[in-house]
Amino acid sequence: MMKKADPISTEIIRNAFISIAQDMNAVLIRSAYTPVIYEGKDCVVALLDEKGEVLGQSSGLPLFLGNLQVCVQETAKIYGWDYFKEGDIFFVNDSFFTGTHLNDITIFAPIFWKKQLAGFSASRAHWLDVGAKDPGGSMDSSNIYQEGFRWPVTRLYENNEPKKEIIEFLRINGRFGYSLIGDMNAQIAAGKTGEKRFQGILDRFGIDLVKSARDEIFRQSEELERDAVKNIKNGTYYADGFLDDDGLGSDPVKINMKVIVEDEKITIDLDGSADQTQGPVNCGFAQTISACRVAFKLLINPKRPVDGGTFKTLEVTAPKGSIFKAEEPAACQWYFSSLGLLIDAFVKALSGSAKELSAAAHYGDSMVIFIGGVDPRNNFPFLSVEPTCGGWGGFEGSDGADALINNVNGGFKDLPIEVFENKYPVSIFNYGFRENSGGLGKFRGGSGLYREYTINTDGFVSLWFERSVTPAWGLFGGKDGMPPNVNIKIPEQTEKNILKANGLQIKNGTVLTTYTGGGGGFEEPLERKPDDVLKDVKNRYVSIEKAKEDYKVIITKGLEVDYKATDELRNK
Amino acid sequence: MYRVSADIGGTFTDIVVDDTENNNIKTIKVLSTPDNPANAVFNGLNSNLEIENIDFIVHGTTVGLNAFLERKGSRVLLIMTKGISDTYTIARGDRKELYNVRYSKPGTLVPRKDVFEVEERIMWDGSIKTKLNENDLSKIADIINREDIKAISICFLHSYVNPQHEIQSRNFLSKLIKEDVVISLSHEIAREWREYERASTAVMNSYIGPVTNNYLKSLQKQLEGSNYKKPLYIMQSNGGVIRAESALEQPVKTLLSGPVGGTIGGQALAKLIKRPNLICVDMGGTSFDMSLIINGKPSVTNETEQEFIPLLIPLVDIHTIGAGGGSVAWLENEALRVGPRSAGANPGPACYGKGGQEPTVTDANLFLGRLGKESKLGGWMDLDLNASENVLKNLSERLNISPVELAEGILSIINAKMADAIRTITVKEGIDPREFSLVAFGGAGSMHAVWLAEELEINEIIVPNDPGTFSAWGMLQTDIRRDLTVNFYQNFQSLEKQKLLENFNKLKNEATELLKSENVNESDMSFNLTADMRYIGQEYYVNVDINKNIDLDEINKNFHSTYEKQYGHSTPEGPSEFINLRLIATGKIKKSESVKSIENDETIKDSKRKIIFNQKEFETKIYARHNIKNNQRFDGPAVIEESTATTVIPPNYSIIKDEFGNIIITKDK
Repeated sequence: MMKKADPISTEIIRNAFISIAQDMNAVLIRSAYTPVIYEGKDCVVALLDEKGEVLGQSSGLPLFLGNLQVCVQETAKIYGWDYFKEGDIFFVNDSFFTGTHLNDITIFAPIFWKKQLAGFSASRAHWLDVGAKDPGGSMDSSNIYQEGFRWPVTRLYENNEPKKEIIEFLRINGRFGYSLIGDMNAQIAAGKTGEKRFQGILDRFGIDLVKSARDEIFRQSEELERDAVKNIKNGTYYADGFLDDDGLGSDPVKINMKVIVEDEKITIDLDGSADQTQGPVNCGFAQTISACRVAFKLLINPKRPVDGGTFKTLEVTAPKGSIFKAEEPAACQWYFSSLGLLIDAFVKALSGSAKELSAAAHYGDSMVIFIGGVDPRNNFPFLSVEPTCGGWGGFEGSDGADALINNVNGGFKDLPIEVFENKYPVSIFNYGFRENSGGLGKFRGGSGLYREYTINTDGFVSLWFERSVTPAWGLFGGKDGMPPNVNIKIPEQTEKNILKANGLQIKNGTVLTTYTGGGGGFEEPLERKPDDVLKDVKNRYVSIEKAKEDYKVIITKGLEVDYKATDELRNK
Repeated sequence: MYRVSADIGGTFTDIVVDDTENNNIKTIKVLSTPDNPANAVFNGLNSNLEIENIDFIVHGTTVGLNAFLERKGSRVLLIMTKGISDTYTIARGDRKELYNVRYSKPGTLVPRKDVFEVEERIMWDGSIKTKLNENDLSKIADIINREDIKAISICFLHSYVNPQHEIQSRNFLSKLIKEDVVISLSHEIAREWREYERASTAVMNSYIGPVTNNYLKSLQKQLEGSNYKKPLYIMQSNGGVIRAESALEQPVKTLLSGPVGGTIGGQALAKLIKRPNLICVDMGGTSFDMSLIINGKPSVTNETEQEFIPLLIPLVDIHTIGAGGGSVAWLENEALRVGPRSAGANPGPACYGKGGQEPTVTDANLFLGRLGKESKLGGWMDLDLNASENVLKNLSERLNISPVELAEGILSIINAKMADAIRTITVKEGIDPREFSLVAFGGAGSMHAVWLAEELEINEIIVPNDPGTFSAWGMLQTDIRRDLTVNFYQNFQSLEKQKLLENFNKLKNEATELLKSENVNESDMSFNLTADMRYIGQEYYVNVDINKNIDLDEINKNFHSTYEKQYGHSTPEGPSEFINLRLIATGKIKKSESVKSIENDETIKDSKRKIIFNQKEFETKIYARHNIKNNQRFDGPAVIEESTATTVIPPNYSIIKDEFGNIIITKDK
């Protein structure tokens, strides 16, 4: 048996794994070509061991948590572990393999040390366009073949040489082929950084010591999780919710969840969720597992880095052929909408037994806007792809956050108006908080946003706004947040409110205003401290009239609480 | 005559006095006076020399930074363009933590109720769509007067390309409000796009403005009262100095000047000993600061985030992690961890004898003998070896290893962490640490430096004279510096050289005027033009040097090679664009040739003690630094002690003291 690694080497190696992943991520984000990666942080990197288990991971996108190892392990299942050769780099984007949509490109490479397979570097990033029927991806696809090129595991490099034909094949199949190559190179560079650093660790400690330190690190993680799960009361818990539709105008799409907590183990059973839909809200099982891991991570040791010992206590099951375990040829473009709802539902299911860890629901989805056309200032085509922030749920001790990006996204930052107006022929004259949008509660839900675009050219708009059927729910007596809305005024047409659209043709002068939902409230609104209501009035989140109507708090014109009148009103 | 610098720390104020007639540098250490930091400076100076004989004073101020860190700045009223003022409170909507359903935003310095809107609108190309509505301003002026607000910031959309409305607003408001109200215009503070970041920078300027200005004005008055006739210079975050009068206009530019002195000292050292590439490390009680000198120049970045508040100000790139003498060793699920938690000053490491129950890095150093039990930490703190021994023993039993293994282990872990942090900054810059020398200063830096070098395969470690006051010495080595920026969003391929030249000349003229106002002669001025460039479609940019002759082909080549260097790949056929032009204007300050001399600290004597290296005990020679002669050479293991620092050298290293008094340590081949 291998000698057990000493605690000191183990800790040095553990810190190094975390630091390697961070360096890989820094290289990827800083050298990527498209905003989806460097602003949206729609990417993840990982250093894996020789069996594909995670040594270190750094994620820009929470939803990619614990997902890269699957790609390596599934490849080995098909071809065997000796398939990987020194100097190889692989590429894959098939949704039923990776679980996610075709835009998410996984690139991984074996790392060799002294001629033996020692591990893998891996990354995943969202590429702006992969040749779907519509630029950037469609809102209304009904099968995977409409969503872009679909590749099984393929060698991009062999013997350290690029396979030029393959790369050219990729390039000409994307609408922005040049940025596609840039993003590919950024992913490769991130992998190289990981390879170099990992080999340095192996040089210093030797592979045996590194492996035994790894085993010890995995053991630590696993035990920490078992301890945390033990603190949740045993029992079976339920939650459900609905997506508005499948993107093609279907009835609401149900997600159903049963959570079984049994000593050190948590099982998430998704039985009762909708069958896979014609519209693009399906996902492969690999990504469903990832979403459940995100949900789990929100409550269990959120600050502890992820490695091969994490998530051993979590099991996920979903019925075959459902939206969560979709099969060919299901459309998967908007795979994450159902997953965002799944994550909220998990928190809700466990809130009864872990109130101090829980929060009311958030506004729910990425709320994506595409604006495209030709920029009259230089006659270049342009395409803006933007998610929008909204309100988060209140929780014990605090209101929910106002205007924050949704749970499946991470370090996303909205594009500054000044940059937006320089880059695209669009003006943003109004952008701000949506009044009264947060759900009422002792701790109110966070506020949603409105953003008004005036589009100065003919072109098209695509929209993906969700969660009007199941808006952000309140908990423990708190009220629901306001659902989303989008208003569009095309010159010479009647103005309309729509939440989803695919390639809607627009005219120069079109005004598009998006409204995102607020978060849910936490506990009874009438328990809210009058001073907190006053603060909201002063900061213009709540009007004086609403303070009286919703919270039964009387605020004078001089912006002071009339405590006596408030007491009387509240005790009536 | 004297040249004087003052570095104000939490406990001590370091004053370095360069006696230019006798070519002699001496250090004065006095207790800091937090209520009015200038008092410490005057106390120190008055008891050592005649202030009227000083002809140059440079001062690093922490008044603004402290006001910010303690959130004791002024109430600021922020004015933005009608319809979009919530951009400031939205703060771009990102989450700093990925896995937290109970996340709260870090919060801004101005609450939403104090953000006001004015009707006006300038478009992306600088054209005016809506004229400034002065009625809106009048209403705001009433509020400023009624509520006695002392600081205002104004940030209008696209003011970086057309500042007209911001200027007009200031002119209009100043007629209606009191004279002492600080008004910060965003385009003057940070002439760059991105409304939230620019507003945030302007707000910081206003927030710390009144307190910084009051302090500087009172300091100037005190100096005048002492017959000091020359200008007072203030250290800036960019590593240069400006006159106090200029600092009054843009206090935000001095916000992070505290640790900068060390890096500028590194730059001077690089020149003095002809080592163009240095990694500078400063280790204190709670934090470890790293910075780089590349090709003789400090690495300077053009923006930063402080406690999640973005600031568009040029600053010497100093990275900090939570690792220091006070970093605590602890167990998580039977596994050993070191830091980032620190024992701080209270209770501090166990050896402080103030009741600390957990072993720290300092305890490990003391237990192994690397720190002498007679040494006075920071020059004044007595150490309790028994206390260190007890806490190490307790923890080592739980881990089933010996106390020696644990103590060395604690140091190995913290050293590896610091080395990883250094790697991360070098990876981002695309450089190889092996081509650098390591410079260690600060209280604990030179105790760990050799091990950091070992991890990074760096061959040479330099410990400058009196490492504890190296920062203050560095301040004496600066020049006047102004950083100017202009937004220049241009497709490179369709660029005409003439346009670039015009913008360059405009910047240069502006900079010349600024330097003239600092009394710099034209012959002492130099200008360095750079451009922020990227491939079309990217957001992050690389900063590319532009030579005086402005050759487009050369700029293009520089861009691709700079990019290649940082990211390991480039796309020479890819279309690129400019975002900003930046000009660094330097006004040379005459410095002296003085070399720092070592003060004779009689309490420190040559001796011997037992020290453990790699689990073996060595009878190790302890050298009092003032007793080592220039060009004297000796071998490790050895310890060099001086009043502010201890340098530890393990076996298999050799040491030489160079002609300037620096200790240079190299690994035996």
